[in-house]
Amino acid sequence: MSQSLKPYLTAVRHTLNAALCLENFSSQIVERHNYPEIENKKTKEILLNPMIISRNEKERVLIEPSINSVRVSIKIKQSDEIEGILVDKFTRFLTKRAETFFILRRVPIEGYDISFLITNVHNEDMLKNKLVDFIIEFMEDVDKEISEMKLFLNARARFVAETYLSTFD
Amino acid sequence: MLLLQPENLLIEKTFTKALAVGYVPMTLDRIVTDFDFTAYHISTPQEKTGILLSVAIKCWNDLVAHGTTELLDTIYSKYSAFLQILSEDNAEPGYNYSLYIQLDKANLATEEEKFTLIKDLSLLKRNSFAAPFLEAFKKYTELAEEQPADPNNIYGEDSATRSDGKVIALNYRDRESIFIKPSNDRVTVIFSTIFSDETDRVFSKIFLQEFSDARKRSIQKAPQVINSHHEIPLEIQSLEKENNDNKSYITFVLFPRHLSTEEVQWNTITQIGTFRSYFHYHIKIVKCYLHQRMRFRVQSFTKVLNRARREVSEEEHKAERKTASGRRFEQRN
Repeated sequence: MSQSLKPYLTAVRHTLNAALCLENFSSQIVERHNYPEIENKKTKEILLNPMIISRNEKERVLIEPSINSVRVSIKIKQSDEIEGILVDKFTRFLTKRAETFFILRRVPIEGYDISFLITNVHNEDMLKNKLVDFIIEFMEDVDKEISEMKLFLNARARFVAETYLSTFD
Repeated sequence: MLLLQPENLLIEKTFTKALAVGYVPMTLDRIVTDFDFTAYHISTPQEKTGILLSVAIKCWNDLVAHGTTELLDTIYSKYSAFLQILSEDNAEPGYNYSLYIQLDKANLATEEEKFTLIKDLSLLKRNSFAAPFLEAFKKYTELAEEQPADPNNIYGEDSATRSDGKVIALNYRDRESIFIKPSNDRVTVIFSTIFSDETDRVFSKIFLQEFSDARKRSIQKAPQVINSHHEIPLEIQSLEKENNDNKSYITFVLFPRHLSTEEVQWNTITQIGTFRSYFHYHIKIVKCYLHQRMRFRVQSFTKVLNRARREVSEEEHKAERKTASGRRFEQRN
């Protein structure tokens, strides 16, 4: 793990731990409605301050807490065109399978690559520390996966090129 | 399968079967397609022992202008005892070139003779595309005799005193072409290609970079590969005025070593001929592999997330379903 990654992940972990303090909360505006307050933002008094934790200009996490839901949006590192494509493909792949991912938001928040929406229901039937672990592990693995895919692509291209060119003998 | 085969497998299979001992003649009517909009038609128009093999190639007119008909005639006329060549107006309607093979007259004694015949038939596409290349190679030999290449120029650098032949253009796909240009010390083959998908285009950049670097790194015998993504190479600027379609150009510089003997020349033609298909095919494969990889990774993420779920054991579940008096609920299905 690189030098700057560890404090970054620790900061995200602590913030999430603090933010994931959720309780059931029925809407104050519409009777018998109960929805993630962070999504409609109509009741100002139960929204908390959003936080941005930034590792560098390309990688950051936005955490928006409220009384019954927390929205976590992640911007994944994209240093070149290839990484951009790989990240885009990967997040699209994930969001298409959002049902199996319970906490995944189908559409990321603008400016970010992927968003999670954790509501009090999720918090009730999942263990909080494990949930935080998942997000941290996800952040670690995505970076690893993207760079591995990029390496694979280069290795494969080299192999393909050499095989073709070695037939000219 | 890493390298693409230049021959057409279905034609090979059909004729291997037809020429085998104990073949029961049957009615055939098969349309076979190949790369670059090439289509074959294998049929038995009259009797069951007479097979008609026709080929349709998109850029047939370009090929004919460079002597394809003559080349094919020389290749296939050695089987004239049982093989009838039908070219131009005699060819099957809708196709460019036809070969009529009469199986009952075929007198191929050895397995080897049969094998060469089958090979020649299945390489019909390559043979058709060979003529312009051979013409360029011939021109190269002429130019080289007039003005021998500088023997000290082993790295293939541009010399001021180069004489060039005319550029041959083959529009082998809708908007993509092959250009062949003979010079006194080399033959340049330029492919123009289009990617309909933006992702493919980005991937192609990596692939082409590796094609260019491979020669510098390990395979010195290979032709030099130069790629340009927007700019039209100097050699063909007289033919291609502007690049509207976002074409990529790939230049192969064939050195004398690739053109020395006839055998080497044919190998070069065969390999160059499969380049576009090979290149596009491998980009697709890479995408496919990445997709598989993502699928696997997503599965492992689901596992991690499922670990976070609170476990409710089966017994706990049952124990809950009791009334105050101790009666149990039975769940209706």
